[in-house]
Amino acid sequence: MIGELLFGTVFGLLLLGIHRKVIARIQRRPGPPVWQEILHMLKFSFKTTWVPATASAALFVGVVLVAIGIWTAALFVVLSGESLLIIFAVYMLHKIVEHGFGLSSGSPYGKFGGVRSVISAASEIPLFVSVAAIGLFTRSLMISDIVAYQEVHGPLLLTVPLAGLAMYLVVLSKMPFGPFSIVESKELVSGYKTEHFGVWRAGLEVCNGLKTYVLLTTFLLVFVGSLPFLLLLLGMVVLTVSLSFACALCPMLSPYDSVTVQTIIAGLMLAYVSILVVMP
Amino acid sequence: MTPHVKKSQALAVAVVSALAGIAVTLLTLAGVLPPHADAAAWVIAFPAFVLGLYLYWMAREGDPDIPFVGY
Repeated sequence: MIGELLFGTVFGLLLLGIHRKVIARIQRRPGPPVWQEILHMLKFSFKTTWVPATASAALFVGVVLVAIGIWTAALFVVLSGESLLIIFAVYMLHKIVEHGFGLSSGSPYGKFGGVRSVISAASEIPLFVSVAAIGLFTRSLMISDIVAYQEVHGPLLLTVPLAGLAMYLVVLSKMPFGPFSIVESKELVSGYKTEHFGVWRAGLEVCNGLKTYVLLTTFLLVFVGSLPFLLLLLGMVVLTVSLSFACALCPMLSPYDSVTVQTIIAGLMLAYVSILVVMP
Repeated sequence: MTPHVKKSQALAVAVVSALAGIAVTLLTLAGVLPPHADAAAWVIAFPAFVLGLYLYWMAREGDPDIPFVGY
């Protein structure tokens, strides 16, 4: 278990490094090396650290522990092929954790980031209506059952492509520098994580690595199916590069526009699922 | 008053959580504990281990800082 945890963390951070590199190259910048996010995690862990005087100490420290803990749990859920609903529950918990990050420090930048996290949750969570489309075909939301269904019937990405698109947007919403990354927008310095420096930020980097690994693995398992391990890793790299293109070519939306676009897509998804129900 | 971080406590947290996680993993592999008990243990132990280890490396035991709260 600990081996999978460490691998997931490091590979997830490597994917985030690839993400930054691809964005930089698209924008004709040299960009950082692909292992930069791993170095970030190590660098922050060696920074001088304390709890700010204005912070709520218990919440300030507690949210970092919870952030790592929930994505650790999510990794085990994915690896053991348990319910997709648990992954979405973890995703919702993560929005609450982001809110906690922002509120705990006493900094206005963090607070605004936390508030934006809640605003964006209102539009990101409905995108999970895509699971309804999956459930219509597989009659189960267990990841193991969904994978088994695809071994017989082919990838769900071909059967319900719009559900795949909705899930893709959920993953895109969690990638840094994306059109929906309003929670860590630069006008808020670093948003909800502005005041979590040093060791706390290193812990957050561990969470980000795990989160990226879990979300991309979930997407591939649910919409492509079971893959050999190396092919799964390659699929994650390809998916990351495609997300990087979306992030590099789309400007970050204002909070209002971000929520509006996501809500419209969620509405279209709801209509799509309704059509699937009426015309199976 | 913001509490200070003590390095000795941070190290204790890291060591205890790592040992607990490894012990539960071994007991699960030996069949003493039910399947997934190690996963449940690591959900709690891994965050504590990460933060404990990092704090042991770099926690400052002096006075806390006042964050930038705008001009």
